Amino acid sequence: MKESEVFDLYLNGGLPAEDTRQFEQNLKNDAVLARAFEEHKALIASLELENSRLGLKNKLKSVHRELFGENTRILSIQKENSFARRHGKTIAVAASTALIAVLATVAALSTGGYLLKKQNNEILELKRNVMELKYSNEGIVEGITMKKSKPVYAPANLEGSAFALNNKGYVITSYHMVGSADSIFLQNEETERCHARLVFADQTIDLAVLKVDNSSVAKNWQVPYALKSKPGEIGESVFTLGFPREDVVYGEGALSALSGFSGDTSMYQISIPVNPGNSGGPVLDEQGNVIGVIKGKITGAEATGFAIRANQILQSLKNSAPDSLKTELLVQSNKKPVLRGLKRPEQIKRIHPYVFNVLVYKLD
Amino acid sequence: MSVSKVQYSDEEFIEGLRRGDNDVLKALYKKYYQLVLKFIVNNNGTQEAAEDVYQECMIVLFENASDPGFSLHCQLQTYVYSVARRLWLKQLKKAGKTFLMKEDEEMDLADVSEDLQVYLQKESDLERLRLSMDQLGEPCGTLIRDFYVHKLSMDQISAKFGYTNADNAKNQKYKCLQRLKRYFFESRHIEQTSEKRL
Repeated sequence: MKESEVFDLYLNGGLPAEDTRQFEQNLKNDAVLARAFEEHKALIASLELENSRLGLKNKLKSVHRELFGENTRILSIQKENSFARRHGKTIAVAASTALIAVLATVAALSTGGYLLKKQNNEILELKRNVMELKYSNEGIVEGITMKKSKPVYAPANLEGSAFALNNKGYVITSYHMVGSADSIFLQNEETERCHARLVFADQTIDLAVLKVDNSSVAKNWQVPYALKSKPGEIGESVFTLGFPREDVVYGEGALSALSGFSGDTSMYQISIPVNPGNSGGPVLDEQGNVIGVIKGKITGAEATGFAIRANQILQSLKNSAPDSLKTELLVQSNKKPVLRGLKRPEQIKRIHPYVFNVLVYKLD
Repeated sequence: MSVSKVQYSDEEFIEGLRRGDNDVLKALYKKYYQLVLKFIVNNNGTQEAAEDVYQECMIVLFENASDPGFSLHCQLQTYVYSVARRLWLKQLKKAGKTFLMKEDEEMDLADVSEDLQVYLQKESDLERLRLSMDQLGEPCGTLIRDFYVHKLSMDQISAKFGYTNADNAKNQKYKCLQRLKRYFFESRHIEQTSEKRL
């Protein structure tokens, strides 16, 4: 009888009693035999385990089909992680400095008994949580990503809007978007994804000023609008451009109140329906002056938005920005109102290149 | 559709898995899928990848829970999330992708290294077995499985494969088994030097 046959019979209990005793005795005395037997058992155990894992896997697959259906495919947002390869270093550096900053902020906030997350519990801030939207927008996303052959990036943790402050590469957005970011990127149809860093923030009015890292990005900027220093008037018509989704979206309405939520005079209330992702976008008047920056909306109320007043922003830049930055930041690009008298589509065409999608990445 | 209404506790889930209760399995599968899906899609993965990892995760839980000495030392949710997270990290690493993890801030992490280690060690054995079986080819592979996994008798095998008698089949099986052992145990030594895990 072959050795393996004896093994099998022994394991199946098919070996006569006498042979069994003899075999067990041999196992004790013969190390080579014992080892061969162990291997034999190990191989069979693996064969059995493979079968049981396969069976379980198939069962789970059918449970999955039963629970979630067959056609629940979601398109992969990125195939290659080209983003990390190309920007890995930038992120790492940005992340380490930002991490220190974040830790400091958190420390400062928690000692003050002031929690970042509770900051605006009445107002829904409009940073776009990419994850949540991805499900609902899958159809759209699929359409878009299929056409583009551009590098595909990792999804950002948060997305929102921003706009150029002046021709020097400074960009305004909401502080709640970028305050805890490890890296920030800007992009729109004209501008390829570029890294930006936070150069100034005024948390009290939710203002953040970024600067694009690569100066060549802003080389040809001709920002066609300026921040308006006079307050707006109730009833005047206003509009915004922003990135509630991948493409820039226009919204219009009227300035409905000169104060924001619960009488906050650093804000306006506007009747533009704003959505997650609009945060940080500009609010412009008919002449194309920037009168505010979208901040948020009231939970539950549609078509009611809040914007930080442009005059408050100018005030903050004047009073709080470090001296080294102040002059740079306060350069207004266009004294002449180049947008005045233009039809809306024409105005938008000019403004469009200076409104950005902000992509925020955070290390947890 | 009798699945939904019943609420199970963590212990009931584990007990049900041990019993092989299908309703419990379904309820469990349903309960944490979104959690894992969200994590993986958020971290550079596709939905298919999430489905795979989640199912692997269920297998880890099932196999460990089947051990009578197993006890859950954290919430089941935490366990599932931690296992899925480690499995996914491993896949990303294997694919050479270094990547910024976006963790689910709501979730705690538990130390699941031991449970995972057991599973992964076996999985690497199985990977070796699959390769060896591929090398072995047919009809040997089926013959071996029929005998050792499906427990067919030599007479049944002989009829199925058209051998003239059971002795003939036995002889074939012996040759197949010897080859399989050679592939399987030889490749082990190569494997061990190359793979350092997690």
